[in-house]
Amino acid sequence: MKVLTDERICVGADLAAWMAAGAAAGLENALADPAGIIPTIEAAGLRGLGGAGFPTHRKWSAVAAQPGPGKWVVCNGNEDEPGTFKDRFLLSRTPHQVIEGALVAALAVKAANVVLYVNPREAAAVRVLREAVTQWEAHPLFARLSEAIGEELHLLVITGSGLYVGGEETAAVASVMGGFPFPTLKPPYPAEKGVNSAPTLVNNVETLAHAGQILRHGPEWYRGLGLGGAPGTKLFSLSGDVLRPGLHELPMGTSLHSLVFEQGGGMLGGKSFKAVFTGGPSNTLLTADDLDVPLDFDNLRKRGSRLGTGAMIVVGEGTSILRKTAEYVAFFAANSCGQCPPCKIGTHQVSRILERVEAGAGRPGDLQALENLAELLPGSGRCGLVDGAATVLASSLKAFRGEYERALRRG
Amino acid sequence: MSGGIPHAEALAAWRARMPAPARALALPVPELLDCFHPDHRPGAIVPLRVGASAGLPCRVELAALLQSDSLVEDVDIAGAPLLDADVLVIGGGGAGCVAALTAARAGARVILATKLRLGDSNTVMAEGGIQAAIGDEDSLQRHFEDTLRAGHFMADKALVAALASDGPGVIRWLIQEGMSFDLAEGSERMGGSLLRRKPGGATAARLLSYRDFTGLEMMRALREAVLLQPGITLLDRHPALELLTDDRGRCAGAALHDLAQGRTVLARAGATVLATGGAGRLHIAGFPTSNHYGATADGVVLAYRLGAALREVDSFQYHPTGIAWPPHMEGQLVSESARASGAALVNGLAERFVDELSTRDVVAAAILREIAEGRGILRGDRAGVFLDTPGLEREKPGILGRSLTTLAHLAQRAGFDAAAEPFLIHPTLHYQNGGVAIDPDGWSGVPGLLCAGEVTGGLHGRNRMMGNALLELVAFGRRAGHAAATDARVERPRNIGLNHLADWRRALIAQDLPLTLKAPMIFPPYGNFNMATERGKAA
Repeated sequence: MKVLTDERICVGADLAAWMAAGAAAGLENALADPAGIIPTIEAAGLRGLGGAGFPTHRKWSAVAAQPGPGKWVVCNGNEDEPGTFKDRFLLSRTPHQVIEGALVAALAVKAANVVLYVNPREAAAVRVLREAVTQWEAHPLFARLSEAIGEELHLLVITGSGLYVGGEETAAVASVMGGFPFPTLKPPYPAEKGVNSAPTLVNNVETLAHAGQILRHGPEWYRGLGLGGAPGTKLFSLSGDVLRPGLHELPMGTSLHSLVFEQGGGMLGGKSFKAVFTGGPSNTLLTADDLDVPLDFDNLRKRGSRLGTGAMIVVGEGTSILRKTAEYVAFFAANSCGQCPPCKIGTHQVSRILERVEAGAGRPGDLQALENLAELLPGSGRCGLVDGAATVLASSLKAFRGEYERALRRG
Repeated sequence: MSGGIPHAEALAAWRARMPAPARALALPVPELLDCFHPDHRPGAIVPLRVGASAGLPCRVELAALLQSDSLVEDVDIAGAPLLDADVLVIGGGGAGCVAALTAARAGARVILATKLRLGDSNTVMAEGGIQAAIGDEDSLQRHFEDTLRAGHFMADKALVAALASDGPGVIRWLIQEGMSFDLAEGSERMGGSLLRRKPGGATAARLLSYRDFTGLEMMRALREAVLLQPGITLLDRHPALELLTDDRGRCAGAALHDLAQGRTVLARAGATVLATGGAGRLHIAGFPTSNHYGATADGVVLAYRLGAALREVDSFQYHPTGIAWPPHMEGQLVSESARASGAALVNGLAERFVDELSTRDVVAAAILREIAEGRGILRGDRAGVFLDTPGLEREKPGILGRSLTTLAHLAQRAGFDAAAEPFLIHPTLHYQNGGVAIDPDGWSGVPGLLCAGEVTGGLHGRNRMMGNALLELVAFGRRAGHAAATDARVERPRNIGLNHLADWRRALIAQDLPLTLKAPMIFPPYGNFNMATERGKAA
């Protein structure tokens, strides 16, 4: 069942068409009972779909509990990790769905400043959003929202630096304030001290899109969408060695096997399945033993991995885990903001070793050094960037040590 | 081959009737080509089904290779040694050497990778000469027009203009590199002026040569220049298995196979020049070939897989006079200059059957017609017609020893005297008219990938003029080498890999094409060679 990616609501920036599709009903319901929004979200079981899986209603309640005025809602569309391409789809194809969700959130937490924070490299998304925002500002619903919140509502499109680290919530806050996206230590969480030191709600694009739908159709409907107790649907960015890569919206809790072999059309060229890097590739690898795992937050956590952004980079026989790992660690090294020395130096060091092993110039002791670093690095940074690099390294070392050894012999 | 006249019988008839009388060519040229030219046979041409030129008509044998899977997987290049350069040149023939020299002299660090050894190529086999409009009565415009006309007006005019304009400069450059040319008689005293002859299909004398081994002399000079040039790393016996791409889809070098050590190495480069030559060793339509052992269309296959567009890949040139007997010399060329000097073609009934100075496609089709209609000459299981060299020697005594030295030498190796016995000849697969579409700087349309020489298309239209191949390889080798060096200065590829292969494989599967066929071929299969099983074993 397609909810967010339903063809009928992919209307681009055309607000009239969006309204004609009956879609603003969610916002109408929210306006009718602002106090009921957060309980509805709680009943639906919505969780943060940007990767953390934190219960959305708890974030919202925390911000709502803070005193106003001047609170902020940041819709985080900074998406930049390898293999993730869901937010750009929502922002450029159904921007009103996202905006409506953000407005619902603003109403729930009584925040009058709503920021659509977008990666400037997604030029199409930025253009469509800007157009969509001007249409909202002229709409009568907008004035009613201002009234309900008790302050004049501002809806802004802000393009950040486009850097990967800018997707972290404290970095997103720094970006919105016009600074370099340095993540900061938590606490204080943005819910207490965010943009301009005001309480700030930071939610992912996909989460907010779902929030609007939940208000429209009700929490029972949302819970019914998922499989095996997990609520809702999830956008999976499927890529790698599958026949049909692309964006697949599937019930939360769909098995990995079903995603790869049914939705993805199976392995490319009938090759055997090796592993999946889950998004965006900062988690423990899923291997052939995990093909039966239902793809939702809790079940993946039980296997020691995480759902992340829903990016699934499939690796088949013939593709090198070592090369992929080297590529991703190089990405993390290039995207470390450099505040925390263990992250700045550690990711660089791992990347350097991986690249020389991959280029046939590995040295004795490199494997041991990688293992040492995988143990040393986690938890040493303000944000999770270095943890992601260490996790993907450690799990590829654990599951595919043979590939590392072969490359070291080959050099 | 269908029936014909036994060799001994035909030889007796030829002796009895010499000089042979001419029989009128009863068939108009278009019908002759339609019925007897190998490219016109039913089933010979199929449309390509995947890739940048999907829909383009292509020779069926080449199409199979173009629409095949890669020899390498991502795992094969993990841990492979990495070599770094500004410019990677693939191909050690004329075009590759010229490109490498030009790029190195422009300051680039160059890797020159060859499948065999430096100079093992078709360049060395070019006998006739090299065209350049240097005569007083000649002009660049006439060279341009002659080339266009010979290619049935199908050539890319910008490329032909570049070729003709570069001609005189190319000759000057070659002389500076130390190449010798024949000098006009009596001109030696003032330093000499170049001897010019008129190539078939030209309106002016503009064919420059060195004896009848011009290509060999050119390669000698180029080879020495490459070996002495600082900044060129030469990798002999390193065929390219696959081109590499970076994360922006730009060509970033190639995966090479070190045949001696049996391992794959990666050559990373800011710009890559493909100069891999032609496709004779595919033995299209079962023909013997004049091409060297490595002419297996590797470059076209690799460039196409990366997204380069092709053109005229349904057009090949069959040289009329390849040796048909003895079998171990099958396919080797008897130079066109034999016919140009007046040697006749004679069938099994001791008749001449075609104007020997017509274009190559017409003469080749006429020979095939004689054989198909039972007037050919059979020797063992080979069929052919006679090239009447004794008749030529009788008419112009001494010519074999004086200017057709290679020809006389060939006969000697075949075990007979060319002045006493005619050659048995059969058309031979000679040249790939089409190839990768390029612009006048050699760019293929794929960022980071340039092409030069026979691997390219567009310059010769549907028929190549004699003498333009040698000019092409120098003119476009220089252009590509220069463009590559300029571009590589600002490019540093990151995250190199085989990123283009997944999409390519999806396209093959979508068209129900098998992933079991692997290409490039590297070496012909009749040498008991299969690259797919060969990797990992030392030579």
